[in-house]
Amino acid sequence: MTKALDNIKLYFSFLSASLREMLIYRLDCLVGMVSQIITQLVEIIFIWIVFQNTENLAGWNFKQILLLYGITLISVALKTFLFDGLYELGPTYIRNGEFDKILLRPVHPIISIIGSTKEFVAFGYLVLGLIMTIIMFIELAIPVTALLIIKIIVFSICGAAIIGAIDTIFSITSFWTHRSNEIIWSFDRIYTFAQYPIDIYNKFIKILITVILPFAFVAYYPTMNYLGMDKYMLYLSPLIAIILWIIAVKLWDLALKKYRSTGT
Amino acid sequence: MLKTMLALAKMQFNQYNIYKSNFYLWTLNRIIEVIVYIFVWQAIYNQTGDAGGFTINQLVTYYILTVSIRPIALFSINSDIAYSIRNGKINKELLNPISYFQYCFGVNLGEMAFALVIGIATFVICSVFWTIILPANLTSFILFLIVIMLGIPLTFFIEVIVGTVGFYSSSIWGMEILKDAIISIFSGIIAPIALFPMWFQKIANILPFKDLIYTPINIWLGQVPTNEIIFVILKQLIWTIILYVIAKIFFNYSIKKITINGG
Repeated sequence: MTKALDNIKLYFSFLSASLREMLIYRLDCLVGMVSQIITQLVEIIFIWIVFQNTENLAGWNFKQILLLYGITLISVALKTFLFDGLYELGPTYIRNGEFDKILLRPVHPIISIIGSTKEFVAFGYLVLGLIMTIIMFIELAIPVTALLIIKIIVFSICGAAIIGAIDTIFSITSFWTHRSNEIIWSFDRIYTFAQYPIDIYNKFIKILITVILPFAFVAYYPTMNYLGMDKYMLYLSPLIAIILWIIAVKLWDLALKKYRSTGT
Repeated sequence: MLKTMLALAKMQFNQYNIYKSNFYLWTLNRIIEVIVYIFVWQAIYNQTGDAGGFTINQLVTYYILTVSIRPIALFSINSDIAYSIRNGKINKELLNPISYFQYCFGVNLGEMAFALVIGIATFVICSVFWTIILPANLTSFILFLIVIMLGIPLTFFIEVIVGTVGFYSSSIWGMEILKDAIISIFSGIIAPIALFPMWFQKIANILPFKDLIYTPINIWLGQVPTNEIIFVILKQLIWTIILYVIAKIFFNYSIKKITINGG
């Protein structure tokens, strides 16, 4: 247990080191944030057009969908900030042989990798997500109680942990391809399915996003709770996050045993 | 000149083709992208029996064609140009016996060819899962191809303009994302233009982007009368000339003014 805590402590010191590194490039950072917001606005315009043609989507109205979108963005922002160092595993670490150095450190390699994140542009997501969430709570006349705020914080972190664990599992492919960033990206983005009510999907996709890659627990079930549509499903989120992380770490360790350096 | 350009295109194509996994992953990505769109509109259609005047099969075909032909509208040779400028590679490329625009266009064609192979694969795989409407007749298919091909130089000159900004700024990816966002909205990639409000459609009608995606797909679906297609082609040609002139002036002005980091 203390070992795990030490690891987490080290992770945050890695993180603050790369934050300082990133802040050198203030302009790049700002451009990155603004462009992330623009990319999200394109999706929001899509939702807006959808609701030009209908009153509700599987029982959800425009504002409720935007709330779901905002809550998802908060989790995605946290995930991008906390775990997107994984994208560097193949192209930066394994291919160049940097990974061998990391293996020598007295800390689990996953910690070194995710702590090396440079994705501080994720604040763009966070700002947009928070603004959307706040506006939609006001528009939907949902009282923002202390309990609700605590719930949002806790379940957003759980959501980020769920996506992060799924990314970690797929990052294992880097050990063989040396460039798995595209594979992570392909599976990671399935979270976008859960930005809409899952009742619109067929059975296969429902099972995909609730059981196989449980992205529905990132923001969909929590948002249903905030909206009073569902009471209990969201409490499975922390449990799923923990289970996924145990699987991810176990698989990683297994893959590490088979890992052969590229020798560069 | 044409021969050199084609050779460049072939080289670029082969470079991509080395990584077979790219091919599978990018195809997978396109399919993942189209799924949300299709299910959202299917849900609306099941609820209201209508989706902006389109039948559901038309909309499904629309989105599958969109992800298949999208590289014509969204391309990123601009980052190659900006990268060449930043690391001084452009010095060598300017000394090539063909003009820089022709060089880039050749490379661009190669990338596009690879992207279109993925597009065709995406289309074929999607047709297993969804009902796709085929072109009404051979004429509309040929006109579909013509309008699409006329979009290639148009996109290319937009790319050159964005890439040339690389002379002035070391991070043009913000510009690139803005460009992608504008094209995604106005070309009909996120939704058919007919589903937008009227004021928006008026803007989209003037801009060149609509004819990259929305118009050719509507030709495929048989929604555009043949006599209107002539005006579409004319509009495309005019926009191509305008963008060519802007790209040429902007590039030539920039290249004279700026000294390049020694590569």
